[in-house]
Amino acid sequence: MEQRRTIVIDPVTRIEGHSKITLHLDDQGRVEDARFHVTQFRGFEKFCEGRPFSEMPSLMARICGICPVSHLIASAKACDALMAVKIPPTADKLRRIFGLAQVVQSHALSLFHLSSPDLALGMDADPAKSNLFGVLEKHPELARDGIRLRQFGQQIIERLGGKRIHPAWVVPGGVSEPLSLADRDAILKSVPEALAIAVRTIEWLKRTIERFREEISTFGNFPTLFMGIVKPEVGGLTFYDGKIRIADASGKIVAEYLDPARYFDFIGEKVEPWSYLKSAYYKPKGFPDGIYRVGPLARLNVVDRCGTPRADQELAEFHELQRTAVLSSFHYHHARLVEVLYCVERMEQLLNHAEILDKHVRAIARPNALEGVGAAEAPRGTLFHHYKIDDEGLIRWCNLIIATGQNNLAMNRSVLQVAKHFVHGERLTAGALNRVEAVIRAYDPCLSCSTHVAGQMALHIQLLSPSGEVLDEVSRP
Amino acid sequence: MARIVIVGYGNPLRSDDGLGWRVAEELSRRLSPPEVEVIVRHQLTPELADDVRNADAVFFIDAARVGQPGEVTCTPVTLQPGTVSSHQCLPAGILALAQELYGAAPRAFAVSLCGECFDHGTGFSTSVEVGLPKLTALVEKMIGEEIARQ
Repeated sequence: MEQRRTIVIDPVTRIEGHSKITLHLDDQGRVEDARFHVTQFRGFEKFCEGRPFSEMPSLMARICGICPVSHLIASAKACDALMAVKIPPTADKLRRIFGLAQVVQSHALSLFHLSSPDLALGMDADPAKSNLFGVLEKHPELARDGIRLRQFGQQIIERLGGKRIHPAWVVPGGVSEPLSLADRDAILKSVPEALAIAVRTIEWLKRTIERFREEISTFGNFPTLFMGIVKPEVGGLTFYDGKIRIADASGKIVAEYLDPARYFDFIGEKVEPWSYLKSAYYKPKGFPDGIYRVGPLARLNVVDRCGTPRADQELAEFHELQRTAVLSSFHYHHARLVEVLYCVERMEQLLNHAEILDKHVRAIARPNALEGVGAAEAPRGTLFHHYKIDDEGLIRWCNLIIATGQNNLAMNRSVLQVAKHFVHGERLTAGALNRVEAVIRAYDPCLSCSTHVAGQMALHIQLLSPSGEVLDEVSRP
Repeated sequence: MARIVIVGYGNPLRSDDGLGWRVAEELSRRLSPPEVEVIVRHQLTPELADDVRNADAVFFIDAARVGQPGEVTCTPVTLQPGTVSSHQCLPAGILALAQELYGAAPRAFAVSLCGECFDHGTGFSTSVEVGLPKLTALVEKMIGEEIARQ
């Protein structure tokens, strides 16, 4: 009788949230299938029903402790649509700065705190040393830069929003307070250091990834579509506002000028029984052929330019990585750093704008529409908030489409590709299993958001026979 | 001049868990800013290593779950590498990180008050309300001693 065995990695470590991976082996001990299960459930879409729409930005920010700002922005934009208001120009710029600071701190967390052990110490490093202290021992400057860069983003969020986590400064109609001269100057003063760190780190990464050719060729290196919001007139990088553009694996644009408010026309979602995370797909191609990726790699694949000098230089180099679109998900790390560079440069531009200290930062209105959609680019990809209200302004229906769900199909396929290449038979090597986790880390999934937690996550992997007998077992502290 | 950092942390929407914020805010009203920097956080994060590196003394103020409700404890913090991640940091890990990154770890104390209610809410239990002045006075006295040492 054919033997089918399963390797379970539970939980997956150094990601935001809780998940596990199962690898199914055939009777020859070869990986034949792999699944990335999201095992946490939060249900935000349901329990906000009945709340006043004006509470939504603050409620939605609670979805995530890592990117609350992105939820605040998307939610406030959905509320702007419900009120049918155009927010003051200064509020628009301040929201953009807020969002850019969020991207910097989140990307810094992903690269320096979560993935730098893999990149700086290698995929086969001692798991006990694969952490910030391990990086610190070998590359103290890199660790210091990570601390400073994340702090840079967080301090801007704190200055603008009043606190680092769950700030409530972005409100329907704009922002609650204007920017002070002192805060503007303090942020501008910190820009050169952040810029220097971004440049230094991107140079380090370009040298480092030379050692990861095998991983580059197997970490989610396959054709998919790529999606992102772009500045429609120039095809430029933006995190706040624009139109949806979709490119295929050859780099050809297959759809553009799509209205984010009509996301349901082109994005479908499928529920799988083995995960709380829904799988999004591009409707015109159906499921699962409509597989697409979002986030840093996708954004850089769909844009023509960033719009700031240094980031544009780096973008040109990034596009040289492959003649087609850049396909390997390993390059999410590289794309993340190009975006950090852009964010710091763009923040400086916005902070120097003549109107940035203007006191008129909020439009006041009652609800003027019963339905509204807000979309923005969160660090991990395109984020949609869609609300329906009743005549009293109470939420009657809510739908959130989160970046991690849009990458779900690609993450599953990536795990399978890595496992087929690196996992062989009943022998569980720490390096092989770390690579299975590392490909997930490349996407920087935020599972708290996407299943609409904190805690130390140990790694426990079991190889089970069909009868449930444990054939092999690996644990990490 | 001595430089003192007070880190009050916890979740102010979880009843007694928010006591670190209350004490930190009370101390920021009482003490002069040039000598004392007050930081409030939902949780400790690695970036605090940068905030504490130039301090002479750091006070980490938090709610405790184990002990007699209302009981105040003060423990010197010793360096402990490996107790830092993006999800969970301990004061000992923050100090170890400061030592490793910047070659400087200040003297530090973990000062806590044992709570009894950690449910959703912004108020404190009676035992914490009673214990808060004692905790605040203890930290204020220790800060005075630290300033006098310099």
